[in-house]
Amino acid sequence: MPADWEDDFGAPVAGPSFVDRARNAPNDDDFPIADDFGGGRPPILAQDAAEETSFQQLIRHWLNERNAPDILPGQEMLLGRLLDHIRKQSNDVELLRADPDSSEEEHFRIMLVQTEIERVKFVIRSYVRTRLHKIEKYARHIATTPEIHERLSKAELDHAKRYAKTVEYHFNHAVLQSLPPQQQSLNEDVAFMPPMIPAPDKLRPVFAHALVDCPPMRLPDGSATEMQKGQISLTPYHVVEHLLLRGEVELV
Amino acid sequence: MSLPPSLRASITPPELELVASEQLVEIVPLVSMERTAFISGAYGPLRPPTKCKVPLWMASNLKLKKKCHIIPPTWLNVEFLQDRLTQETTLPSFSEMPFRFAEVAKILLDVAPDDLQNPEKIRTLLKDIREARQAKSREGLSKLDPNELILQNLAAMEINEIRPFFVRGMSVLTQLTREPPAGDPMDET
Repeated sequence: MPADWEDDFGAPVAGPSFVDRARNAPNDDDFPIADDFGGGRPPILAQDAAEETSFQQLIRHWLNERNAPDILPGQEMLLGRLLDHIRKQSNDVELLRADPDSSEEEHFRIMLVQTEIERVKFVIRSYVRTRLHKIEKYARHIATTPEIHERLSKAELDHAKRYAKTVEYHFNHAVLQSLPPQQQSLNEDVAFMPPMIPAPDKLRPVFAHALVDCPPMRLPDGSATEMQKGQISLTPYHVVEHLLLRGEVELV
Repeated sequence: MSLPPSLRASITPPELELVASEQLVEIVPLVSMERTAFISGAYGPLRPPTKCKVPLWMASNLKLKKKCHIIPPTWLNVEFLQDRLTQETTLPSFSEMPFRFAEVAKILLDVAPDDLQNPEKIRTLLKDIREARQAKSREGLSKLDPNELILQNLAAMEINEIRPFFVRGMSVLTQLTREPPAGDPMDET
């Protein structure tokens, strides 16, 4: 378990991955920076995204991550920005707290600011944990599929590889080495059996909500359809996957 | 484990409530407060009795401490809901409701019933609307096919409610129809 992750989000200071990156990142609070580092595509929703606050963006990515069967591109810049903001707010609270002359009104503001910090922290934690859950569930699939690597942060990828290795080591030492050699494989295609490396089920249906009028998409039966802005559809994940990565739909 | 089993299948109603609590509502403050910078933006200043827009979480927090009155959204009153109930029971389609109406209504009925007109009646109407809509979504199950099901005007909480069963149903249908006439559907993405 990467216990240090948990600690990172508990205390708003210091840490190896997101926080360090966020610190080295330019101070980008005043101008938009593409968060989807996975694609490098132009932000299609530039206008709408500008109206969304960082926290609302995180909520959207969190809900997407919770509802999508596959692991989505990580939002490191966004997380870094929010963690910075949390740290700033926490520092301000500490300063105000230390001031013995603060009025009741001040206490009241402090309480509200702290409440909000806790709300943001909750979503950040849940987001990271959701990703962690998928990483551990699909660790061996991730370790062997380079296309997925760019969707993960460095810390996440390291963890996935280490976890996959540990699990394989454990399987080998606990059971497999005592079996006949032809039964020791951890990656075998057996007819009529599910694959031995669990992979995300992209056929699983999801509820997609169109944020803009979407380009046509192909349904499993081969027909084409278009989602109007605001429409909600239940459809297999692979149908809307590219729209989701472009930010044209959100999962609800 | 990183994600408790109860959270794996879908978002939970309290989490949806948290999401809905980011929405702005109007309040009449009873205390004054300077404009304050929050992570989601700056709110205030609060100057009684001038109305002010704040996020719902802040409004319910203030309300619980008896420091404001919440002005209910335009759709949370007896006339509007009565009208929607009539639509729900006479028309086959879902009537238009705000996407997170169930969450917002619950929070306001819980923390600020005294700011609503006739909260008991509102509660009954919401329940009737919910039942009428629930019946429709159950009927919609018969339209399920492995391609797409369009859910017009369904709200977040209702989607969450039908999610496990509809997702499972559609998965089974997908498995049943997954003969490879045009290759593996996975290849098309």
